[in-house]
Amino acid sequence: MFSTVVSGYGFWNLFSWLTFFICIAALVLWFRSQGRKDYKEDSPQDEIFYGGNPVPRDGADITVPASSAYWGFKKALRGFYVLLDSWHSGVATDYVAWLVFTVAIFALLLAF
Amino acid sequence: MSWTNHLPALVVAVPLFGAFGAPLVSKAGRIPRNVWFILIAVLTALFSLLLWQHVNATGTAVYVMGGSAWNLPLPSGMQLPVRILLEVDSFGALMALIGSICTLAGALFSLQFMEKFTGLDKYVALYLLLTAGMQGMVLTGDLFNLFVFIEIASVASFGLVAFWRDRPEAVEAGFKYMLISTVGVMFILFAIAFLYGRYNVVNMGAIGANLQYGLPEKVALIFLVVALAMKCGSVPMHMWTPDAYAEAPAAVTCLLVAVSQASLYALFRVCFSIYGMSLGSSAVAWAIIVLGCLSMFIGVTMAVIQKEIKRLMAYHSVSQVGYMLLGLGVGLLALGNPQEMSDYGMTAIKGGLFHLLNYTMYKPLLFLCAGALFYAAKSRNLNDLGGLAKKMPYTTVLFVLAAAAIAGLPPFNGYVSKLLIYESSFAVHPILPVVAMVTSMLTLASFVKVFQTAFLGPEKEVFSSVREVPQSMLLGMGLLALVILGLTFFPSWSLDHFITPAAEALVDKASYVGAVLGGGF
Repeated sequence: MFSTVVSGYGFWNLFSWLTFFICIAALVLWFRSQGRKDYKEDSPQDEIFYGGNPVPRDGADITVPASSAYWGFKKALRGFYVLLDSWHSGVATDYVAWLVFTVAIFALLLAF
Repeated sequence: MSWTNHLPALVVAVPLFGAFGAPLVSKAGRIPRNVWFILIAVLTALFSLLLWQHVNATGTAVYVMGGSAWNLPLPSGMQLPVRILLEVDSFGALMALIGSICTLAGALFSLQFMEKFTGLDKYVALYLLLTAGMQGMVLTGDLFNLFVFIEIASVASFGLVAFWRDRPEAVEAGFKYMLISTVGVMFILFAIAFLYGRYNVVNMGAIGANLQYGLPEKVALIFLVVALAMKCGSVPMHMWTPDAYAEAPAAVTCLLVAVSQASLYALFRVCFSIYGMSLGSSAVAWAIIVLGCLSMFIGVTMAVIQKEIKRLMAYHSVSQVGYMLLGLGVGLLALGNPQEMSDYGMTAIKGGLFHLLNYTMYKPLLFLCAGALFYAAKSRNLNDLGGLAKKMPYTTVLFVLAAAAIAGLPPFNGYVSKLLIYESSFAVHPILPVVAMVTSMLTLASFVKVFQTAFLGPEKEVFSSVREVPQSMLLGMGLLALVILGLTFFPSWSLDHFITPAAEALVDKASYVGAVLGGGF
């Protein structure tokens, strides 16, 4: 009723999605319940494994920075990003140049 | 005569009055200023809601300024609508409602967020002036007033972007925005001059009724489309958005998103209500589709590599505008063919408008979450942030909600509008939904990055004293979250009541023209 959208080719239903997520959540909880029961909270079992070394007290020392995220993606697309960086020069007159360039492209498109 | 007939004027006049009253009220102190700020924002939202109801119940509203009667678009003995007039159909009323919700959310957020800064009388005045300009842009019925309201909104936003004038980056961002915006708005003025020279009139309905697609009309169309695409942040004219969105205070960015959508509204209005089927060839439609695809892909790929949270979100704004341009372009492509319009054109337009509505709710919420992080942790750099989920649980939940919506994760509202755009654009060319879906996946990737680096991970000692943001800031964010949840749980109702009337009003040029000219030019 209020939650079904018919697009012409398919449909979207909120409750179908919610049912799907509830089923997945139930599956995950069941899977988790099959784990070991002898786990002890607030014991050395809680310690993270840090290559056998003492874990640094400050979380800042064991955080992967955002600039390292998706490094493989950036490396694979290095040429593309070099090009994009050159476009995003930060120079104000370049901004205006792109505007004028787009006007020119539109003019060419409509002229023919 | 019912007072509701004056609603179109009130939606513009109330924030305008509030802007000029703000410096005077601020003389009485902090509390009267804050009360004034919220009162004006609430009244604007209330009048916008009533206007939307009024227009949906009674049809297009025309309001004449300075005439002997408010409902007399054609003065006695004249065939041309010569007065300043507001023309509000379902699309315009929806835009006014969306804008006023962003205004209220930003105003609530500002109360605590801006408290420690000086010059708040000017801040409130400029904020309300920006609101008045934005509302004028979506309610006006003539091109010259569109230009005037764009200028009002632009001038207010230059001041607000550079509000933290002790930061050189903010002043630089304000200057860059001013430069490109001024050139763009001059293009719009040129376009109006061309059309005025041809038709002796600036009323959009009157021009639309009489338009013959010749050289001056082509020149005007080029200037209008490109300048308005720049104002809404389309590639390759988007470079001002990361600068301006990142440096403006968060509540201002929230409103700037709505203002950029007012420019997109003007672009829709020019394409459908002025030119419409006169466009003839599909060149303009394809040009807009290409701009949309470029905006989606370049915007999102630039966003993925950002490490400053507001710049990342600003590039996402560019990418999201691409979806709406794609919907607009596909709809425009089908406009001349009733069969294609029925098969996929109308779905594309509805998808574009629904995405506009969704975007104008979740993107301001994301910017407000970034502002909350900055308020609490004093940093916008994702390399510095981390482990804040336990310290800021409400902000974390609100961020996850908005991020899931923008990434189009089921069952949130973002995917409903994307689905409509995917399916309709597939009918034009299969590559279009592929670009849109890749964009959606990269959007998810970059918001996972933000969530992981800012909110998850071990707690950092430097943030040991960080606390959740004050209630008024949460209230501003909560208002937008509430609307997002409403759109998520009732997508069909939203489509039927918000989007379909707006889409039908947009494509029905005869009705838009007829509301002013009464059946003929």
